[in-house]
Amino acid sequence: MPDSMRRTKSIELRVLRYRPASDREPAFVSYVVPYSDDMSVLQALQSIKDAQDGSLSFRWSCRMAVCGSCGMMINGEPKLACNTFVRDLAGKAAVIEPLQNFPIERDLVVTVGDFVKKIESIYPYIMPKVAKPIEDGAYLQTPAQMMAYESFSDCINCMLCYAACPQFGANPDFIGPGAMAMLQRYNSDSRDGGRQLRLDQIHGEDGVWACTAVGMCSDVCPKQVDPANAVNQNKTNSALDFFLRAVRPGPRP
Amino acid sequence: MSERRPFHRPQPRYWWAHKPYLAYTLRELTGVAVALYAAILLAGLVCLWRGPQAFDVYRKILASKGSLLVHLVLLAAVLWHVITWFQILPKTMPKLILGGRLVPPRSVTAIALVLAFFCSAGLLVVVIVIGALS
Repeated sequence: MPDSMRRTKSIELRVLRYRPASDREPAFVSYVVPYSDDMSVLQALQSIKDAQDGSLSFRWSCRMAVCGSCGMMINGEPKLACNTFVRDLAGKAAVIEPLQNFPIERDLVVTVGDFVKKIESIYPYIMPKVAKPIEDGAYLQTPAQMMAYESFSDCINCMLCYAACPQFGANPDFIGPGAMAMLQRYNSDSRDGGRQLRLDQIHGEDGVWACTAVGMCSDVCPKQVDPANAVNQNKTNSALDFFLRAVRPGPRP
Repeated sequence: MSERRPFHRPQPRYWWAHKPYLAYTLRELTGVAVALYAAILLAGLVCLWRGPQAFDVYRKILASKGSLLVHLVLLAAVLWHVITWFQILPKTMPKLILGGRLVPPRSVTAIALVLAFFCSAGLLVVVIVIGALS
């Protein structure tokens, strides 16, 4: 039976739309969408784009909570549209908005440039402690050493944590939970030697210290990365680095 | 020509008064109750230092109905602070790995709460015993 035949129920989606060429500010537009029990919010948006309004814009790619593209506010909560079922929103109109705390480019598409710069600022790659030629083989690691950072490497850069963070909402320069999870992923890697470079990026007011341990970033994370833990562990690291800077080896700040 | 005109939505002014941030707001506000309670204890120490007469006044104030009511409210606030603080504890400490396995955050919270309960109960017993002996 074709999928459309099974769509016996329908739901109203109130989508916040913004077309920069014609709209002064965003406004809600309602769409009634037939749905089946296995339909995600992303599929509902796709069905609007296919059958009702081709100009509706939103980001998506993998449809399986891996690419991190389809983050949006669903009934006020930051969620991935691809792993939120329409059936769980049934009963009243569902409100779909672009991610909170980010400038809106168009409809559900937000500006990601600042977020990418933050990720870049913490050197998101392994900087080997001692460089060695390829002939000498791979950098080895035990399972226990891998466990120290593995959960932080699950981040898919979906930015839901930024949308949930009121401190990022108040100060867009705050490095934020996602970049800190990435920092923690590399700083806890036994093969890495870039810890000091990264710590130097997060000492200031816009670094870890802007966090007030609200904790919502971890609650909304679709991959259970626990970015709040990354931020707060690095408050300790930043404080220790401040007090120990006079005795640690290497150049003085 | 680019049509780019990013729209900046302001952060809701009263975000802290709504779910899911209300629990956080209450946790931070009850920190004030902890400070108030510490101030009351400090006032007692100052009275003790100033002499028996001052300390008697302090005790009389503590025994008043108003003071009992304030202490009940402070106790409720401090309890809320303790519980919510230990709920966020796993998010603020290094990951606990025992025997090659990650200790679940809920267990960390539970252990911390049980420890806090036994420490408070132990302190209460010490105070009662000292009171009975003096």
